[in-house]
Amino acid sequence: MRRCIVIASTLLLLTMLAIAWWESRGVKPVALTPSLTGKVEYCLSCHADLPEISKSHPIKTFGCVLCHGGERLAMDADLAHSTMRGGKNPADFRVVEASCGGADCHSGTAQAQRDHIQRATTSIQATYAGAIAQIRFTYDAQTDLVARLGTTAIQDSQSTSGITSLAAFDPLQESNPAVQAFGQNCLICHLLVVPSQTGGRYDHFTGCAACHTLTQVANLTSTDTSTATRVHQLTTAISYTQCDTCHNRGNYDLRTMTFQPRLDNPTDRLHDYYQPIAQFTKCEYTLNCIDCHTRTEVMGDGNLYSSKFDIEYIRCKTCHGTLTELPNILTLTDPNDIAFRQALLNPVVTLQPEDDLLVTEKGEPLWNTRLLPDGTYELTGKSTGQVFQFKPVMGSGCEQDPEEQSSAACHKCHAVQR
Amino acid sequence: MSDPQLSRRDFLKVTRTILLTASGLLGLGGLIRFLSYQSQPPAKIEFDLGLASNYAPGSRTVLPDVPALLIRTEMGFSAISLVCTHLGCTVESMPEGFSCPCHGSRFDSQGKVMRGPAAKPLISLKVKTTEDGKLQLFTN
Repeated sequence: MRRCIVIASTLLLLTMLAIAWWESRGVKPVALTPSLTGKVEYCLSCHADLPEISKSHPIKTFGCVLCHGGERLAMDADLAHSTMRGGKNPADFRVVEASCGGADCHSGTAQAQRDHIQRATTSIQATYAGAIAQIRFTYDAQTDLVARLGTTAIQDSQSTSGITSLAAFDPLQESNPAVQAFGQNCLICHLLVVPSQTGGRYDHFTGCAACHTLTQVANLTSTDTSTATRVHQLTTAISYTQCDTCHNRGNYDLRTMTFQPRLDNPTDRLHDYYQPIAQFTKCEYTLNCIDCHTRTEVMGDGNLYSSKFDIEYIRCKTCHGTLTELPNILTLTDPNDIAFRQALLNPVVTLQPEDDLLVTEKGEPLWNTRLLPDGTYELTGKSTGQVFQFKPVMGSGCEQDPEEQSSAACHKCHAVQR
Repeated sequence: MSDPQLSRRDFLKVTRTILLTASGLLGLGGLIRFLSYQSQPPAKIEFDLGLASNYAPGSRTVLPDVPALLIRTEMGFSAISLVCTHLGCTVESMPEGFSCPCHGSRFDSQGKVMRGPAAKPLISLKVKTTEDGKLQLFTN
């Protein structure tokens, strides 16, 4: 009997030692109490090696759980990740309101220019309403080009475009086989869809992160590949290579309703930027897309539209003016001007009160430009930091018709040959 | 003299006692560790800043642990929280006031908002001098 008790005691001690040893070799909890939530979380126990996502979202302030969700106290990976929003991407539009919303964050008022989510989710890049309307009109599924369907159903009672809602486009509800095929084969690059090819040149995230998390090398000719496949980083310095994960990849064949990838193999920026068929001027391939296209054009203005041409409005004359007019200038007097915020987020320039900037006809400051004392202008690349100096059309030898301000009119003289 | 050799019975008894005591202590240690573990340690609201004489008149001292700016003027001590009232980032002290590195809010030297997105001024904190000449800062 005594021998049995000793054996049992030995086994008990060995069990206790084994438990202590097992505990000691596990991950040590690293506690973080973000100032914004005041609630401790243990995500850094495993994820301390991740870079800070952006200067605007410091880990000590935001922590992880506020944006990502998840079980903040769990030390088991499966349990900790079980309630994360959007998997690895909390900026996916299906969960973005819970992840990035809030009046002080990205779903504030339009007046405070904090309605990013409302604008992005109603933008033509998310709804794809223009392409859907075009195809349905082409194949007699609707009688005009007004958008009625989008990638998902969406309501916007405040829309001033005349379109206040879109129903969800469902290819299976379409009677025309071509429209069905369009839905199945061609709706592959709106902001809600995960790209079919992952890890490649066209790889990108969904939602806000499709643009703001770089997954591509910033410059095709650069030997620095450290910028490729970046994750856990948000930026407003977006290279054209990120835009080209959706744009300029190829064409849709309307006979077969399939996507045909471009077949050229560009080795420099000149040939990489656009498809071979495109015509453009030097600044259109030297600069990055976001150097000219504004936040409203890219992310929408909060209204639902039937076509991208309803929201795109930047033209050559926005920066260069015409023979009879100089471009619009904004003198920074309002300390709350959005230009200051944009320059802070992407500090390639330092703006000061009383600086003179170019401003679009809709009043959007081109914060990376400035009027120089000699009457010329300067533009700093938002992604590259390169500085370009340029002149107004007025006073030059340009022979344009001031009434002809489409890019095609300028391309007549200024197109680059490839 | 009695036989110093331990009997088999006594040996088993001692061994059993040692094993059970060690197991019990291990178990008790684990239990204490479990019960005393604070997953949510309370936020510190009171800070000892040392002797008041350590802060020269006219000085502006950043206290990163709070975070706050301790100001000593001829009128005495005052402190301003360096937590931005927009989203809680730590603002940076500049000659002309404070600047939030996260979203660009600007505050004047008194903590008043000069530029958004912050809408409220920086919070003034209570500073107390004890009888023995030490400073205490309260963040609540």
